[in-house]
Amino acid sequence: MTSWWLVLAVLLGVYAIAVLEEWTMTGRIAPSAPLRSGLALLGRESLVPRQPDRVLFELAPLVLLIAAVLSLAVLPLAPGLLFADLATGALFVNAALAYVMVAVVMAGWAPNAPFALVAGWRFLGQLVAYSMLIVMPITAVGMRAQSLATSAVVDSQAPLWNVVAQPLGFGLFSLAALAVAFLPPFDLPIAPSELAGGVFGEYTGARLVIVRLGRLVLVLSLAMAVTVFYLGGWLGPMLPHCAWTSIKVLAVAATMLSTGRYLPRVTIDLMLAWAWKLGIPLALVNILWVGITLLLAKSG
Amino acid sequence: MQQVVAVVVFGLAAVVLGAGIFRTSSMVRSALSLLGSMAALGALFLALEAEFLGVLQLMMMATEMAIMAIFMVMYMMDPGGLGKMEMAHQKRVAIAFGVIAGLTGVALAVLPAWAPIVAVAPGPTLQVHDLGIELLTRSMLIFETAGLAILVAMVAATAVAIVRRRP
Repeated sequence: MTSWWLVLAVLLGVYAIAVLEEWTMTGRIAPSAPLRSGLALLGRESLVPRQPDRVLFELAPLVLLIAAVLSLAVLPLAPGLLFADLATGALFVNAALAYVMVAVVMAGWAPNAPFALVAGWRFLGQLVAYSMLIVMPITAVGMRAQSLATSAVVDSQAPLWNVVAQPLGFGLFSLAALAVAFLPPFDLPIAPSELAGGVFGEYTGARLVIVRLGRLVLVLSLAMAVTVFYLGGWLGPMLPHCAWTSIKVLAVAATMLSTGRYLPRVTIDLMLAWAWKLGIPLALVNILWVGITLLLAKSG
Repeated sequence: MQQVVAVVVFGLAAVVLGAGIFRTSSMVRSALSLLGSMAALGALFLALEAEFLGVLQLMMMATEMAIMAIFMVMYMMDPGGLGKMEMAHQKRVAIAFGVIAGLTGVALAVLPAWAPIVAVAPGPTLQVHDLGIELLTRSMLIFETAGLAILVAMVAATAVAIVRRRP
Protein backbone atom coordinates (compact mmCIF):
# COMPACT_ATOMS: atom_id res chain seq x y z
CA MET A 1 0.00 0.00 0.00
CA THR A 2 2.76 2.46 0.95
CA SER A 3 4.54 1.81 -2.32
CA TRP A 4 1.46 2.95 -4.26
CA TRP A 5 1.46 6.19 -2.30
CA LEU A 6 5.15 6.55 -3.10
CA VAL A 7 4.52 6.01 -6.82
CA LEU A 8 1.79 8.65 -6.66
CA ALA A 9 4.15 11.04 -4.84
CA VAL A 10 6.85 10.50 -7.49
CA LEU A 11 4.37 11.15 -10.31
CA LEU A 12 3.11 14.31 -8.61
CA GLY A 13 6.70 15.42 -8.03
CA VAL A 14 7.62 14.86 -11.66
CA TYR A 15 4.58 16.81 -12.79
CA ALA A 16 5.42 19.66 -10.44
CA ILE A 17 9.00 19.74 -11.77
CA ALA A 18 7.67 19.87 -15.34
CA VAL A 19 5.46 22.86 -14.45
CA LEU A 20 8.39 24.50 -12.66
CA GLU A 21 10.66 24.04 -15.68
CA GLU A 22 8.07 25.68 -17.92
CA TRP A 23 7.83 28.53 -15.41
CA THR A 24 11.60 29.10 -15.26
CA MET A 25 11.82 29.17 -19.05
CA THR A 26 8.78 31.22 -20.01
CA GLY A 27 7.64 32.89 -16.78
CA ARG A 28 4.16 31.41 -17.21
CA ILE A 29 2.57 28.93 -14.83
CA ALA A 30 0.70 26.54 -17.07
CA PRO A 31 -0.50 23.50 -15.12
CA SER A 32 -1.78 21.68 -18.17
CA ALA A 33 1.25 22.30 -20.39
CA PRO A 34 3.24 19.12 -19.52
CA LEU A 35 0.20 16.94 -20.17
CA ARG A 36 -0.54 18.67 -23.46
CA SER A 37 3.01 18.51 -24.75
CA GLY A 38 3.35 14.90 -23.62
CA LEU A 39 0.20 13.89 -25.49
CA ALA A 40 1.29 15.89 -28.53
CA LEU A 41 4.65 14.08 -28.58
CA LEU A 42 2.93 10.71 -28.24
CA GLY A 43 0.81 11.56 -31.26
CA ARG A 44 3.83 12.33 -33.41
CA GLU A 45 5.81 9.92 -35.52
CA SER A 46 8.84 8.44 -33.74
CA LEU A 47 11.58 8.48 -36.37
CA VAL A 48 14.52 6.11 -36.45
CA PRO A 49 17.66 7.53 -38.09
CA ARG A 50 19.35 5.71 -40.94
CA GLN A 51 21.56 2.76 -39.93
CA PRO A 52 21.40 3.22 -36.17
CA ASP A 53 22.70 0.83 -33.56
CA ARG A 54 19.14 -0.29 -32.97
CA VAL A 55 19.64 -2.04 -29.61
CA LEU A 56 21.47 0.88 -27.99
CA PHE A 57 19.14 3.41 -29.63
CA GLU A 58 16.09 1.79 -28.02
CA LEU A 59 17.84 1.08 -24.72
CA ALA A 60 19.27 4.56 -24.03
CA PRO A 61 16.02 6.36 -23.01
CA LEU A 62 15.03 3.38 -20.84
CA VAL A 63 18.42 3.28 -19.12
CA LEU A 64 18.12 7.02 -18.40
CA LEU A 65 14.66 6.56 -16.87
CA ILE A 66 15.64 3.45 -14.88
CA ALA A 67 18.82 5.06 -13.52
CA ALA A 68 16.87 8.12 -12.38
CA VAL A 69 14.12 6.03 -10.77
CA LEU A 70 16.69 3.81 -9.00
CA SER A 71 18.51 6.82 -7.55
CA LEU A 72 15.17 8.12 -6.29
CA ALA A 73 14.27 4.75 -4.76
CA VAL A 74 16.67 5.04 -1.82
CA LEU A 75 15.81 8.63 -0.84
CA PRO A 76 13.22 8.95 1.95
CA LEU A 77 10.12 11.15 1.76
CA ALA A 78 9.42 10.71 5.47
CA PRO A 79 10.74 8.33 8.16
CA GLY A 80 10.43 4.84 6.71
CA LEU A 81 8.67 6.11 3.60
CA LEU A 82 10.97 5.04 0.76
CA PHE A 83 11.13 2.19 -1.75
CA ALA A 84 14.32 0.56 -0.46
CA ASP A 85 16.09 1.44 2.79
CA LEU A 86 19.53 0.17 1.82
CA ALA A 87 22.40 0.20 4.30
CA THR A 88 24.49 1.63 1.45
CA GLY A 89 21.84 4.11 0.29
CA ALA A 90 24.09 7.16 -0.08
CA LEU A 91 26.53 5.15 -2.19
CA PHE A 92 23.68 3.65 -4.21
CA VAL A 93 22.52 7.13 -5.27
CA ASN A 94 25.92 7.69 -6.80
CA ALA A 95 25.95 4.22 -8.40
CA ALA A 96 22.58 4.85 -10.03
CA LEU A 97 23.62 8.32 -11.24
CA ALA A 98 26.66 6.79 -12.97
CA TYR A 99 24.27 5.04 -15.36
CA VAL A 100 22.87 8.41 -16.47
CA MET A 101 26.19 8.87 -18.20
CA VAL A 102 25.97 5.38 -19.72
CA ALA A 103 22.53 6.27 -21.10
CA VAL A 104 23.73 9.58 -22.51
CA VAL A 105 26.80 8.05 -24.16
CA MET A 106 24.62 5.28 -25.64
CA ALA A 107 22.12 7.84 -26.92
CA GLY A 108 24.95 9.84 -28.45
CA TRP A 109 26.58 6.92 -30.18
CA ALA A 110 23.57 4.88 -31.30
CA PRO A 111 21.77 7.10 -33.84
CA ASN A 112 24.80 7.31 -36.16
CA ALA A 113 24.55 11.10 -36.26
CA PRO A 114 27.48 13.52 -35.89
CA PHE A 115 25.86 16.09 -33.57
CA ALA A 116 24.62 13.45 -31.14
CA LEU A 117 28.02 11.77 -31.19
CA VAL A 118 29.91 14.96 -30.34
CA ALA A 119 27.44 15.73 -27.57
CA GLY A 120 27.65 12.20 -26.14
CA TRP A 121 31.44 12.35 -25.83
CA ARG A 122 31.08 15.84 -24.36
CA PHE A 123 28.96 14.43 -21.57
CA LEU A 124 31.61 11.81 -20.88
CA GLY A 125 34.13 14.66 -20.49
CA GLN A 126 31.65 16.38 -18.20
CA LEU A 127 31.43 13.20 -16.10
CA VAL A 128 35.20 13.22 -15.57
CA ALA A 129 34.71 16.72 -14.14
CA TYR A 130 31.67 16.18 -11.91
CA SER A 131 31.80 12.58 -10.70
CA MET A 132 34.36 13.13 -7.93
CA LEU A 133 32.39 16.15 -6.75
CA ILE A 134 29.35 13.93 -6.27
CA VAL A 135 31.08 11.15 -4.38
CA MET A 136 33.46 13.15 -2.15
CA PRO A 137 30.80 15.38 -0.53
CA ILE A 138 28.66 12.24 0.01
CA THR A 139 31.63 10.73 1.86
CA ALA A 140 31.65 13.68 4.27
CA VAL A 141 27.88 13.37 4.76
CA GLY A 142 28.30 9.67 5.54
CA MET A 143 31.09 10.50 8.00
CA ARG A 144 28.80 12.76 10.02
CA ALA A 145 25.95 10.24 9.98
CA GLN A 146 28.32 7.34 10.79
CA SER A 147 26.25 5.45 8.23
CA LEU A 148 25.53 5.29 4.51
CA ALA A 149 21.80 4.73 5.06
CA THR A 150 19.86 7.77 3.86
CA SER A 151 17.49 7.73 6.87
CA ALA A 152 20.49 7.84 9.22
CA VAL A 153 21.85 10.78 7.21
CA VAL A 154 18.64 12.73 7.84
CA ASP A 155 18.59 11.76 11.52
CA SER A 156 22.17 12.97 11.94
CA GLN A 157 21.06 16.46 10.91
CA ALA A 158 18.58 16.91 13.77
CA PRO A 159 20.94 19.20 15.78
CA LEU A 160 22.26 21.10 12.77
CA TRP A 161 21.57 20.76 9.05
CA ASN A 162 24.50 19.75 6.88
CA VAL A 163 24.14 22.90 4.80
CA VAL A 164 25.46 24.80 7.85
CA ALA A 165 27.75 22.05 9.15
CA GLN A 166 29.49 21.47 5.81
CA PRO A 167 28.72 24.41 3.49
CA LEU A 168 31.60 23.57 1.15
CA GLY A 169 30.20 20.13 0.50
CA PHE A 170 26.75 21.62 -0.12
CA GLY A 171 28.09 24.04 -2.71
CA LEU A 172 30.15 21.44 -4.55
CA PHE A 173 27.40 18.81 -4.51
CA SER A 174 24.79 21.27 -5.79
CA LEU A 175 27.01 22.38 -8.69
CA ALA A 176 27.83 18.77 -9.54
CA ALA A 177 24.10 17.95 -9.41
CA LEU A 178 23.49 20.62 -12.07
CA ALA A 179 26.15 18.97 -14.21
CA VAL A 180 24.66 15.47 -13.77
CA ALA A 181 21.28 16.63 -15.02
CA PHE A 182 22.97 18.67 -17.80
CA LEU A 183 21.09 21.75 -16.68
CA PRO A 184 22.42 25.20 -17.58
CA PRO A 185 25.18 26.37 -17.25
CA PHE A 186 26.39 22.80 -17.83
CA ASP A 187 24.04 21.97 -20.71
CA LEU A 188 26.55 21.62 -23.54
CA PRO A 189 25.68 17.91 -24.02
CA ILE A 190 22.17 18.85 -25.11
CA ALA A 191 23.31 22.21 -26.47
CA PRO A 192 19.97 23.56 -27.62
CA SER A 193 21.53 26.51 -29.41
CA GLU A 194 24.46 24.79 -31.00
CA LEU A 195 24.13 21.08 -31.77
CA ALA A 196 20.38 21.08 -32.50
CA GLY A 197 19.40 19.17 -29.40
CA GLY A 198 22.72 17.35 -29.02
CA VAL A 199 22.51 13.89 -27.55
CA PHE A 200 18.76 13.59 -27.81
CA GLY A 201 18.46 15.49 -31.08
CA GLU A 202 17.61 12.32 -33.02
CA TYR A 203 14.87 11.22 -30.66
CA THR A 204 11.28 12.06 -31.57
CA GLY A 205 7.74 11.06 -30.61
CA ALA A 206 7.22 8.38 -27.97
CA ARG A 207 10.97 7.84 -27.47
CA LEU A 208 11.40 11.55 -26.72
CA VAL A 209 8.61 11.29 -24.14
CA ILE A 210 10.67 8.66 -22.28
CA VAL A 211 13.79 10.83 -22.54
CA ARG A 212 11.96 13.90 -21.17
CA LEU A 213 10.36 11.83 -18.41
CA GLY A 214 13.73 10.37 -17.46
CA ARG A 215 15.26 13.86 -17.31
CA LEU A 216 12.42 15.13 -15.09
CA VAL A 217 12.77 12.17 -12.72
CA LEU A 218 16.51 12.85 -12.69
CA VAL A 219 16.00 16.50 -11.69
CA LEU A 220 13.52 15.40 -9.01
CA SER A 221 15.96 12.80 -7.73
CA LEU A 222 18.86 15.28 -7.56
CA ALA A 223 16.72 17.89 -5.77
CA MET A 224 15.69 15.14 -3.37
CA ALA A 225 19.34 14.14 -2.87
CA VAL A 226 20.33 17.74 -2.03
CA THR A 227 17.39 17.90 0.39
CA VAL A 228 18.19 14.60 2.10
CA PHE A 229 21.95 15.08 2.28
CA TYR A 230 22.12 18.77 3.17
CA LEU A 231 18.76 20.35 4.00
CA GLY A 232 17.62 17.99 6.72
CA GLY A 233 15.20 15.92 4.61
CA TRP A 234 11.90 15.64 6.43
CA LEU A 235 13.03 17.62 9.50
CA GLY A 236 11.05 20.77 10.33
CA PRO A 237 8.53 22.13 12.84
CA MET A 238 4.72 22.04 12.76
CA LEU A 239 3.99 20.62 9.28
CA PRO A 240 3.97 16.85 8.62
CA HIS A 241 7.19 15.17 7.41
CA CYS A 242 6.07 14.71 3.78
CA ALA A 243 5.13 18.39 3.52
CA TRP A 244 8.58 19.52 4.63
CA THR A 245 10.32 17.21 2.18
CA SER A 246 8.05 18.38 -0.66
CA ILE A 247 8.56 22.07 0.10
CA LYS A 248 12.33 21.70 0.27
CA VAL A 249 12.52 19.54 -2.86
CA LEU A 250 10.44 21.99 -4.90
CA ALA A 251 12.47 24.95 -3.65
CA VAL A 252 15.75 23.20 -4.54
CA ALA A 253 14.39 22.16 -7.94
CA ALA A 254 13.21 25.71 -8.69
CA THR A 255 16.65 27.06 -7.77
CA MET A 256 18.40 24.39 -9.85
CA LEU A 257 16.22 25.07 -12.87
CA SER A 258 16.39 28.85 -12.72
CA THR A 259 19.86 29.98 -11.51
CA GLY A 260 21.83 28.47 -14.37
CA ARG A 261 19.85 30.47 -16.89
CA TYR A 262 21.53 33.68 -15.70
CA LEU A 263 25.05 32.29 -16.13
CA PRO A 264 27.10 31.81 -19.29
CA ARG A 265 27.58 28.19 -20.44
CA VAL A 266 30.72 26.53 -19.12
CA THR A 267 32.79 24.77 -21.77
CA ILE A 268 34.10 21.28 -21.02
CA ASP A 269 37.77 22.34 -20.78
CA LEU A 270 36.96 25.06 -18.22
CA MET A 271 34.74 22.67 -16.30
CA LEU A 272 37.50 20.06 -16.16
CA ALA A 273 40.11 22.60 -15.09
CA TRP A 274 37.94 24.05 -12.33
CA ALA A 275 36.72 20.66 -11.12
CA TRP A 276 40.20 19.15 -10.82
CA LYS A 277 42.26 22.16 -9.80
CA LEU A 278 39.74 23.78 -7.47
CA GLY A 279 36.77 21.46 -6.83
CA ILE A 280 38.59 18.32 -5.73
CA PRO A 281 41.02 20.14 -3.36
CA LEU A 282 37.99 21.92 -1.86
CA ALA A 283 36.19 18.59 -1.48
CA LEU A 284 39.25 17.24 0.36
CA VAL A 285 39.26 20.32 2.61
CA ASN A 286 35.57 19.63 3.27
CA ILE A 287 36.31 16.03 4.31
CA LEU A 288 39.15 17.24 6.56
CA TRP A 289 36.90 19.94 8.08
CA VAL A 290 34.10 17.47 8.80
CA GLY A 291 36.60 15.01 10.29
CA ILE A 292 38.05 17.67 12.60
CA THR A 293 34.62 18.93 13.74
CA LEU A 294 33.51 15.33 14.40
CA LEU A 295 36.61 14.58 16.48
CA LEU A 296 36.22 17.86 18.41
CA ALA A 297 32.54 17.14 19.06
CA LYS A 298 33.46 13.63 20.25
CA SER A 299 36.18 14.78 22.67
CA GLY A 300 34.41 17.97 23.83
CA MET B 1 15.38 -20.77 -4.32
CA GLN B 2 14.88 -17.19 -5.56
CA GLN B 3 18.45 -16.47 -4.63
CA VAL B 4 19.75 -19.42 -6.66
CA VAL B 5 17.69 -18.35 -9.69
CA ALA B 6 18.98 -14.77 -9.39
CA VAL B 7 22.59 -15.96 -9.10
CA VAL B 8 22.23 -18.23 -12.14
CA VAL B 9 20.49 -15.55 -14.25
CA PHE B 10 23.00 -12.79 -13.47
CA GLY B 11 25.92 -15.21 -13.81
CA LEU B 12 24.76 -16.29 -17.26
CA ALA B 13 24.16 -12.65 -18.22
CA ALA B 14 27.71 -11.81 -17.17
CA VAL B 15 29.12 -14.68 -19.28
CA VAL B 16 27.01 -13.90 -22.36
CA LEU B 17 27.80 -10.18 -22.26
CA GLY B 18 31.45 -11.02 -21.60
CA ALA B 19 31.51 -13.10 -24.79
CA GLY B 20 29.81 -10.19 -26.53
CA ILE B 21 32.95 -8.10 -26.06
CA PHE B 22 34.77 -10.16 -28.68
CA ARG B 23 31.85 -10.69 -31.03
CA THR B 24 31.66 -7.11 -32.22
CA SER B 25 34.00 -5.02 -34.33
CA SER B 26 33.19 -1.72 -32.63
CA MET B 27 35.11 -0.35 -29.68
CA VAL B 28 32.09 1.35 -28.16
CA ARG B 29 29.85 -1.71 -28.40
CA SER B 30 32.64 -3.79 -26.96
CA ALA B 31 33.10 -1.41 -24.01
CA LEU B 32 29.35 -1.28 -23.36
CA SER B 33 29.18 -5.07 -23.48
CA LEU B 34 31.99 -5.25 -20.93
CA LEU B 35 30.11 -2.75 -18.79
CA GLY B 36 26.98 -4.89 -19.04
CA SER B 37 28.97 -7.93 -17.97
CA MET B 38 30.44 -6.08 -14.98
CA ALA B 39 27.02 -4.68 -13.99
CA ALA B 40 25.63 -8.24 -14.11
CA LEU B 41 28.43 -9.25 -11.72
CA GLY B 42 27.38 -6.36 -9.44
CA ALA B 43 23.81 -7.64 -9.47
CA LEU B 44 25.21 -11.12 -8.74
CA PHE B 45 26.94 -9.77 -5.64
CA LEU B 46 23.66 -8.15 -4.57
CA ALA B 47 21.92 -11.49 -5.03
CA LEU B 48 24.61 -13.08 -2.84
CA GLU B 49 23.72 -10.60 -0.04
CA ALA B 50 27.01 -8.72 -0.39
CA GLU B 51 25.31 -5.35 -0.61
CA PHE B 52 28.27 -3.01 -0.30
CA LEU B 53 30.34 -4.98 -2.79
CA GLY B 54 27.46 -5.08 -5.27
CA VAL B 55 26.74 -1.35 -5.09
CA LEU B 56 30.45 -0.54 -5.31
CA GLN B 57 30.85 -2.80 -8.35
CA LEU B 58 27.87 -1.17 -10.08
CA MET B 59 29.21 2.31 -9.35
CA MET B 60 32.88 1.83 -10.17
CA MET B 61 32.39 -0.16 -13.35
CA ALA B 62 30.06 2.34 -15.03
CA THR B 63 32.57 5.16 -14.66
CA GLU B 64 35.57 2.95 -15.31
CA MET B 65 34.30 1.41 -18.53
CA ALA B 66 33.25 4.81 -19.87
CA ILE B 67 36.67 6.27 -19.21
CA MET B 68 38.27 3.22 -20.76
CA ALA B 69 36.10 3.71 -23.83
CA ILE B 70 37.09 7.36 -24.23
CA PHE B 71 40.79 6.50 -23.86
CA MET B 72 40.48 3.68 -26.41
CA VAL B 73 38.80 6.02 -28.85
CA MET B 74 41.44 8.70 -28.25
CA TYR B 75 44.43 6.41 -28.68
CA MET B 76 42.99 4.78 -31.77
CA MET B 77 42.84 8.21 -33.44
CA ASP B 78 39.24 7.51 -34.28
CA PRO B 79 36.98 10.29 -33.05
CA GLY B 80 33.60 8.77 -32.38
CA GLY B 81 34.91 5.23 -32.23
CA LEU B 82 33.05 4.35 -35.43
CA GLY B 83 35.95 2.54 -37.10
CA LYS B 84 35.94 -1.25 -37.19
CA MET B 85 38.61 -3.23 -35.43
CA GLU B 86 39.28 -6.85 -34.60
CA MET B 87 38.73 -7.46 -30.91
CA ALA B 88 40.71 -10.71 -30.70
CA HIS B 89 44.43 -10.91 -31.35
CA GLN B 90 46.97 -13.79 -31.23
CA LYS B 91 44.10 -16.20 -31.11
CA ARG B 92 45.96 -19.42 -30.33
CA VAL B 93 47.92 -17.93 -27.43
CA ALA B 94 44.80 -16.19 -26.17
CA ILE B 95 42.77 -19.41 -26.27
CA ALA B 96 45.55 -21.31 -24.45
CA PHE B 97 45.78 -18.65 -21.76
CA GLY B 98 42.00 -18.50 -21.47
CA VAL B 99 41.75 -22.25 -20.94
CA ILE B 100 44.62 -22.26 -18.41
CA ALA B 101 43.16 -19.32 -16.48
CA GLY B 102 39.70 -20.89 -16.50
CA LEU B 103 41.01 -24.22 -15.23
CA THR B 104 43.06 -22.45 -12.52
CA GLY B 105 39.93 -20.61 -11.43
CA VAL B 106 37.92 -23.82 -11.23
CA ALA B 107 40.76 -25.58 -9.38
CA LEU B 108 40.99 -22.71 -6.88
CA ALA B 109 37.26 -22.91 -6.30
CA VAL B 110 37.16 -26.69 -5.85
CA LEU B 111 40.52 -27.95 -4.53
CA PRO B 112 41.46 -25.95 -1.39
CA ALA B 113 39.63 -26.74 1.83
CA TRP B 114 37.62 -23.54 2.17
CA ALA B 115 36.12 -22.67 5.54
CA PRO B 116 32.48 -23.80 5.85
CA ILE B 117 29.90 -21.51 4.24
CA VAL B 118 28.19 -19.21 6.76
CA ALA B 119 24.57 -20.16 7.22
CA VAL B 120 23.35 -16.57 7.62
CA ALA B 121 25.16 -13.63 6.04
CA PRO B 122 25.68 -10.69 8.42
CA GLY B 123 23.31 -7.76 7.94
CA PRO B 124 24.24 -5.07 5.39
CA THR B 125 24.92 -2.43 8.08
CA LEU B 126 27.29 -4.77 9.88
CA GLN B 127 28.98 -5.63 6.58
CA VAL B 128 29.71 -1.96 5.83
CA HIS B 129 31.02 -1.46 9.36
CA ASP B 130 33.22 -4.57 9.32
CA LEU B 131 34.58 -3.75 5.88
CA GLY B 132 35.58 -0.28 7.06
CA ILE B 133 37.39 -1.70 10.09
CA GLU B 134 39.11 -4.31 7.93
CA LEU B 135 40.28 -1.74 5.36
CA LEU B 136 41.79 0.49 8.04
CA THR B 137 43.47 -2.25 10.09
CA ARG B 138 44.71 -5.53 8.66
CA SER B 139 44.34 -4.74 4.95
CA MET B 140 45.46 -1.14 5.17
CA LEU B 141 48.98 -1.69 3.86
CA ILE B 142 47.83 -3.76 0.86
CA PHE B 143 45.08 -1.29 0.10
CA GLU B 144 47.33 1.76 0.30
CA THR B 145 50.06 0.05 -1.74
CA ALA B 146 47.59 -0.79 -4.48
CA GLY B 147 46.25 2.77 -4.46
CA LEU B 148 49.74 4.24 -4.69
CA ALA B 149 50.68 1.85 -7.50
CA ILE B 150 47.66 2.95 -9.52
CA LEU B 151 48.50 6.62 -8.92
CA VAL B 152 52.10 6.06 -10.04
CA ALA B 153 50.85 4.28 -13.16
CA MET B 154 48.55 7.19 -13.97
CA VAL B 155 51.27 9.80 -13.51
CA ALA B 156 53.71 7.69 -15.56
CA ALA B 157 51.17 7.19 -18.36
CA THR B 158 50.54 10.93 -18.52
CA ALA B 159 54.26 11.68 -18.49
CA VAL B 160 54.86 9.24 -21.35
CA ALA B 161 52.02 10.72 -23.37
CA ILE B 162 53.30 14.31 -23.18
CA VAL B 163 54.97 15.38 -26.39
CA ARG B 164 58.38 16.95 -25.70
CA ARG B 165 58.74 20.36 -27.23
CA ARG B 166 62.10 21.05 -28.84
CA PRO B 167 63.35 24.56 -28.09
